Amino acid sequence: MSLTQEEFDYLKNELKRQPNDVELSMVEAEWSEHCSYKSSKPYLKLLPSEGKRVIVGPGYDAGVLDVGDGYVVTVHIESHNHPSAVEPYGGAATGVGGVIRDILSMGTRPIAIFDALRFGSIEKSSHNKWLFKNVVRGIADYGNCLGIPTVAGEVEFDDSFERYCLVDVASIGMGKKEDIVTSRADNDDYVVLAGGSTGRDGIHGASFASKVLEEENRSAVQIPDPFLEKLILEATMEAIEARCVKAVKDLGGGGLSCCLSETADKIGKGINVDISKVHVREQGMTPAEVMISESQERMLYVTDGTNLNNLLSILDKYEISYSVIGKVKDHHNLVVRHNSHVVADMPASLVANAPLANRIAKKPAYLEKLANVNKPSIPKDLNDALLKTLSNPTIASKRWVYQQYDHEVGIRTVVKPGYGDASVLRLDNGKFVTFKLDGNSKHCYIDPYNGAVGCFAEACRNVVSVGAEPIGMVDHLQFGSPEDAEIFWTFVETIKGISNYSKVMNVPCVGGKVSFYNETDNGPIKPSPIIGVVGLIEDASHIRNSIIKENDTLLIIGLTKDEMGGSEYYEYIHGITGGNVPKVDPSLDCKVMRVMLDLIKNNMVRSVHDCSKGGLAIALSEMCVGGNIGIDATLTHVPNECSRIDDLLFSESHSRFIVSIEEDEFTSITNLLEKQEIPYGTLGKAQGNSIRFTYNDKNIINVSVDKAVDAWANTLERLIEHG
Amino acid sequence: MLNKVTFVTKHYVRVVIENKPYINDPEGETILKDLISKGGYTSIKSVRTAKMLSMEVEAKDSKEAETIVRKLCDELRIYNPVVSNCRIEVLDTLHVKG
Amino acid sequence: MKVGIVVFPGSNCDKDVHHVLRHVLHTDAEFVWHKRESLNGYNAVILPGGFAYGDRLRAGVIAAFSPIMKEVKRLAGEGKPVLGVCNGFQILVESGLLPGALIKNNSLKFVCRWTNIVVESNRTPFTHALKPKQVINIPVANQEGRYVADPKTLEMLEHNNQIVFRYHNDDPNGSANGIAGISNEEGNVVGMMPHPERGSESILSPFGGNDAVMIFKSLIDYMDEQK
Repeated sequence: MSLTQEEFDYLKNELKRQPNDVELSMVEAEWSEHCSYKSSKPYLKLLPSEGKRVIVGPGYDAGVLDVGDGYVVTVHIESHNHPSAVEPYGGAATGVGGVIRDILSMGTRPIAIFDALRFGSIEKSSHNKWLFKNVVRGIADYGNCLGIPTVAGEVEFDDSFERYCLVDVASIGMGKKEDIVTSRADNDDYVVLAGGSTGRDGIHGASFASKVLEEENRSAVQIPDPFLEKLILEATMEAIEARCVKAVKDLGGGGLSCCLSETADKIGKGINVDISKVHVREQGMTPAEVMISESQERMLYVTDGTNLNNLLSILDKYEISYSVIGKVKDHHNLVVRHNSHVVADMPASLVANAPLANRIAKKPAYLEKLANVNKPSIPKDLNDALLKTLSNPTIASKRWVYQQYDHEVGIRTVVKPGYGDASVLRLDNGKFVTFKLDGNSKHCYIDPYNGAVGCFAEACRNVVSVGAEPIGMVDHLQFGSPEDAEIFWTFVETIKGISNYSKVMNVPCVGGKVSFYNETDNGPIKPSPIIGVVGLIEDASHIRNSIIKENDTLLIIGLTKDEMGGSEYYEYIHGITGGNVPKVDPSLDCKVMRVMLDLIKNNMVRSVHDCSKGGLAIALSEMCVGGNIGIDATLTHVPNECSRIDDLLFSESHSRFIVSIEEDEFTSITNLLEKQEIPYGTLGKAQGNSIRFTYNDKNIINVSVDKAVDAWANTLERLIEHG
Repeated sequence: MLNKVTFVTKHYVRVVIENKPYINDPEGETILKDLISKGGYTSIKSVRTAKMLSMEVEAKDSKEAETIVRKLCDELRIYNPVVSNCRIEVLDTLHVKG
Repeated sequence: MKVGIVVFPGSNCDKDVHHVLRHVLHTDAEFVWHKRESLNGYNAVILPGGFAYGDRLRAGVIAAFSPIMKEVKRLAGEGKPVLGVCNGFQILVESGLLPGALIKNNSLKFVCRWTNIVVESNRTPFTHALKPKQVINIPVANQEGRYVADPKTLEMLEHNNQIVFRYHNDDPNGSANGIAGISNEEGNVVGMMPHPERGSESILSPFGGNDAVMIFKSLIDYMDEQK
C-alpha cells in the first residue's frame, strides 16, 4: 500500500468507513505525488498566472494563450523520466503521446513538439549512450508517425544523471477561441472511453514514478502505438469541429481513476461508470486493475444524447475501438460498477484532491562549500580549450538528433533547428509563434534560486533572439525526493526565483508539471527546473536567425561578469563544481530584451544570437560556424567586470546578445543603446577562414573555421555512431 | 442426412522474411561491425537481419497449414518479392522454451 | 478541373499538399478518403506523404490494398496524372503502378534535411514546365527512402527515360543510381521521395527559393492544356 498512515486515516475519516480494495487502488494512484502534486501544490500557487493573453491558466490539460484575430495557442509539458530510464524507446515515445493528448483535450490541434533531455556522460558510459540513442529514436518514431514536427529542444549531459535520464516533452497547439473545449456537462450526458484497449500495462506506473528507481521494474513500461494516436488525433479534431463533444480528457498517469475523478471534480458533477463495459485486451482483469491501468492512447469524451451517434460514427470512420462506459450524474461522486455491483463509490473531489503533504525545507549544508572554490589556472592553450568546449556534447551541434525528427511536416516551420536560437512556426493569422525550453542543472545545483531564474531568462532571451515577445511560460520542475528537506528547499527556492522573474517580466505561468523522486542508487539528480517560454512574432519582417555572412559587423550587447560557477568551462574543462553562478538582474534583463526587440522591429540588426552555455567565446564561434565564415574579433571593448581572460571568454553571464549589423546602422544602434544605458562593444567583422580573438592587440585564440566546424558539427555523430 | 464433420487442429507456422542477397543489409553489417566485433566476438563472421511472423493456423494437417500461409504471403504481399525471400516453416509449437 | 488528394489512415502531408494547390496556386483540390470507391470527376490524383497504416509490416503495403487504389489504377490506366510523394511513392510501388522497391535508408535512421534534385525527364505532367538538368532545392524526410530494383529493371528505367529526378551531388539514403523519383513507362504516373509541397513557398526554404512549386504548376498547366 502506498498511502501513508495519515493519508489512509484521512481517507477513512472522509468516507466515514473503511475503503475497499478497489477504492484503495484508485486513491493510491491519484494521491501519488505524480498525479496529486501533494508536496508542491501550495508553492505552485505562488506562480503568477494571470495576464492579458491568458485564457486558461495552470490546472488544466494545457495553458491557453490569446494570439489575436480569434486564434489561440495552447501549450503543455510532460515528463517520462522513470519509464525512459528503464525502457528508453517506449518511455520517451509514450511521453510524446501523453503531451499530444493534453493539447487535444483543450480542443486544439498540436502543431509542434519540443524535447529537453538530460543524461549522464555519453563519453564515459555506453549505458548512457544507449539511453540517449533510444530516447531520441522513441521521440522520432512517435512524432514522425503522428505527422507533428519536432522542431526544437535541448540536451544536457551531467554526471548526476548517470544511468538515469530526464525526458521532458512539450507541445504547442493552435486553434480558434470558439473551439476551446471548456469541460462542462449535464445530467445524463454520456461518458465514452475510446482508443487503445485496456490491459495491464503500466500498472502502478504513477506510483512507480513516485518511488525511487531502485531496480528495473519492467511491469511499469508502456508500449507506444503512434498510428492509433494519429487516428485519435484526427477523430478528436473532427469531433470538435462537428461540435459533438462537451468534454475531452486524455488518460495518463493513474489511468481511468485519475481521469474520471479529475473530470468529475472539474465539471462539478458526479460520474457513474460500469467498467465491465471497458474494452479490454487481457482476460480476467480485476476492477482495480481496470481502474488504474495506464494503457496508452486512450481518450475520454463526454457528450449528450443528441450528439452521441455523431461522435460514435466519427470513431467508426477511423476504426477506433470505444465503449460507452457511463453517464454524468447530478451527484458529486465517482461511482464505479462492475456489471451491477458497486465496486467503488467515493466523492470525486476527495479522490481528485489529495491531502497536502507538509514538507520541511532546510538549506543544504553543501551550498556553503560550493560557493567558494579555487579558480583554476588559465590553460596555456586556449585554442584547445575552445575546441574542446565546442565539442562538449552539451554544447555541440544537435544535428544528429534533429535530423531524425521530421521538423518540416505541416509546412509551418519557417526557422528550422540549427538556424536560430529558437524555431519559428507560422500561425494561420499571419503571425508567428516560437517556443523554447531551457534548463541548466549545473547552475541550479550550485545556486538553486539564481539558477532557476537563469533558465527562465535564457528561454526568454532565445525567444527574443528570433524576434518574438515572450507571452507565457510553462515550467517543469524536477528534483529528487521531497521528503529530503534539503532537496525540498531547492524546490522552494526555484519557485521563489521563477515567480519573481515572472512578475518583473510580465510573463505569466500557464501550466507546468512537478516531478519528484528522480533518484537512483547514486543519489538524487541535481535540481533541474526546465522553463518553456512561448513567444509571439507579429510580422514576418521581425523574424531573425543567427546566421552571419561575410562583412557583417558584430557587436556584443550586455555586461560580462566574473560568474564562472556551473559554467561548462569550469565543469567540462576543469572538472570544477562551484563558484559564482550567473545572476539575473530582472529589471535590467527586461530592459535589455525590450531594447533588443526594438532594434529588431526597426530593422536595425541582421542576425542575433544570445550568449549562454560556453559564454561569449562559444556564442561567437557558433555564429562563425553557422555562417562558415571566420572573424577577426577584438575583445578589448567587450563591457566586462572580469580580471582574467578565460573568465571573459567563457563566463555565462545573462542579459547578453551578439548581433550582426550593416556598418551604416552602427551609429543609430549605438545611440539607442547609449540612451538606454546599455553597455555594448564592437567585436569585429566576419571575414576570412579563421576564428581569431585578440585582447589589447595580443593574440588569444586563433583556430581555423574548418577545425571549429568539425569540433562542433561532427562530435555527437562521432561519439554515438562510431565511438 | 448427416452433416460432414471436418476435424481441424492447430498448427504453428513461422514466416521469415529476409532480404535477397543482392540487397545489402546495413543493419546486419552495423550490428556486426559496431557491436559484435567491437565487443570482442571475432568468431562471428556475418549477420543478416530478417523479419519474423508467427502464425497460429487451424487446418486439417501441417501441409494444408503451410499451403494456406504460402498463399496469403504471396497474395497479400506479406513480403516484397522484388526485395525479399520468404521462408515458411511449420513448427511443433509456437513458443520456444527459453 | 479538380485534383484529388487521397487520405489514408495515417496520411500526414495531405493538408500540406492541399494548401499549396488551394492557397498558393488557387486550384481546386479535394480530400478523398481511402474508403471512397470512385474518383470520377478528378483530373489528377496525388498520394501524399505520411505513415499510412503506421507503416506496419512495410511502408505502403497495407494502403496498397485500400478500396480507393482500384480507382487510382483505373485513372492511371486512362493516362491521367498520378503523383505519389514519399509514402505515396511507397504505395504506388507496392500496388505495382511503379517498379522497384523502397527500403530502409543506408543510415538506418530517419533523415530530415534539404537536398537538391536534378530533373532528368520533363516528359511527365509534373515536370514538363521544367527544363532538363534543372536543379531543384527540396527537402527529404523519410526512413525508407532508398530506391532499389534488380539490374534489369534499373536498365529499363534508364533506357526508357523513366527516371524523373536524381539526387544532385548528394546521397541522403543510398538509392540505386541516385534515383529520387521515377515514372511508369507512359510517363503519367510519377513517384518521388522528396516533398515538393515543402519547397513551394520561399518563407519555408532556408535558402529562400521555391523551385519545387513548379512541379505542381506543371501539373496545373498540363491539366489546362488537356481541356
